[in-house]
Amino acid sequence: MSTLELYSPTDLSDALRFMEHDGRNVAIIASGTDLLPRMRRKQISPSVLLDISSLTEDLRYIRQLDGTIRLGALTTVADLLESPLFHGKLSVIREAAMLFGAPQVRNVATVGGNICSAASSEDMIPVFMALDASLKLVSAREERTVPLKDFVVGKRETVMKPSEMLAEVNFSPPGGHSWTAYEKLGRRNMLILAIVNEALSVTLEDDLRTIRSARVALNRVSGKIPAVAVKTSDFLRGKRVTGQTVAQAQKVLASELSLTSDFRGSGEYRTEVAQVFLKRLIERCTRQIGGPS
Amino acid sequence: MAKRAITINVNGTEHPLQVDAPDRLIDVLRDQLNLKSVKEGCSTGDCGICAVLVDGKLVNSCLMLAAQCDGRRVTTLEGLLGDPTMKRMQGSFIANNAAQCGFCTPAMLMASWDIARHSPEPSDEEIKVAISGILCRCTGYYQIIDSVREGCERGER
Repeated sequence: MSTLELYSPTDLSDALRFMEHDGRNVAIIASGTDLLPRMRRKQISPSVLLDISSLTEDLRYIRQLDGTIRLGALTTVADLLESPLFHGKLSVIREAAMLFGAPQVRNVATVGGNICSAASSEDMIPVFMALDASLKLVSAREERTVPLKDFVVGKRETVMKPSEMLAEVNFSPPGGHSWTAYEKLGRRNMLILAIVNEALSVTLEDDLRTIRSARVALNRVSGKIPAVAVKTSDFLRGKRVTGQTVAQAQKVLASELSLTSDFRGSGEYRTEVAQVFLKRLIERCTRQIGGPS
Repeated sequence: MAKRAITINVNGTEHPLQVDAPDRLIDVLRDQLNLKSVKEGCSTGDCGICAVLVDGKLVNSCLMLAAQCDGRRVTTLEGLLGDPTMKRMQGSFIANNAAQCGFCTPAMLMASWDIARHSPEPSDEEIKVAISGILCRCTGYYQIIDSVREGCERGER
């Protein structure tokens, strides 16, 4: 006999009112591809499911306005693959979407759900973090913007309050001589959660040799928390792209990471892979921009 | 707990149904509508053998609540038995010995039908991506890939 209840809001404001006033243990369900397995494994036992999957009018969109790209939280991973926006400089979003789950999952899984899962293996988080994305959090009372890099504070823990919902991911595509790339290691090629995933967004000076800015983001930087590797990103700034720079940046990254082990891989292994990925990412990005290979 | 009244169009027929909050689409398809081509394997989205089409998109029916399908269109293998592309794909699976234990076959056929619809001449890489979410427990993937390629090709003629 189940006591689980399901509430299907009529629109976003109805959903937000429900979250404001219902004191019970509410879990938001979008596609359910992450939530339902967790409920089945009894990792969480909500008393009410707030089903936002029908709020597509409010929350499923991909828009580009005044140089900013805005993705509604219910944008599916398949929507990313179909959008004409994610080619060229933003093809990294397509690449990450192709490495996400499998077709049946991509067809329903949402960008917002992936980010809110915050389980330290999400494909979307390092990519959007490297692009310096912000999140729009809404509640019945207020709306606030939080940089994605500050959103996750622990495994499955975010800065979101119980009354808040993620409504939108937005970012300004990097201009100038820039490129963004993504690397993911799993135990097989498809339908797999990442042991390590890492994204790099880099902009070169006009000489195409000097790094103007770089942002390296990983699914884990300290423990199980996804973050921007700030020291590594800072180290790269102003450096000329050479083999020596890459080797030094790899050392900085290794010293910056403090990774734990679990059944997917040891912290030591992850640190090693993260360094290899950094080299590949720098090489891929600079090659795309047309700088030194 | 009161049941919720929903209506799902399954294989072309509107079905008024009574469901509990935790009922998944697969529960309704197998237990209320007796559609046994939909298999339950892992129940966590890892094996894909519960794959069906919802509004024309391939999804895992173990990862979707029945209530979320209210007013939507669901297609299972039973609904495609008279479809020429599906008939061709089934023939190709038989000719290439693509079914060993058969447990994944309905889902493989659904994914194959889905790719045949979008891509008349898929590359092996595209076929691998299309079936990447479905686990063949006998690991007879090469026969399956051959079957999908031939099943799609014959559609061209």
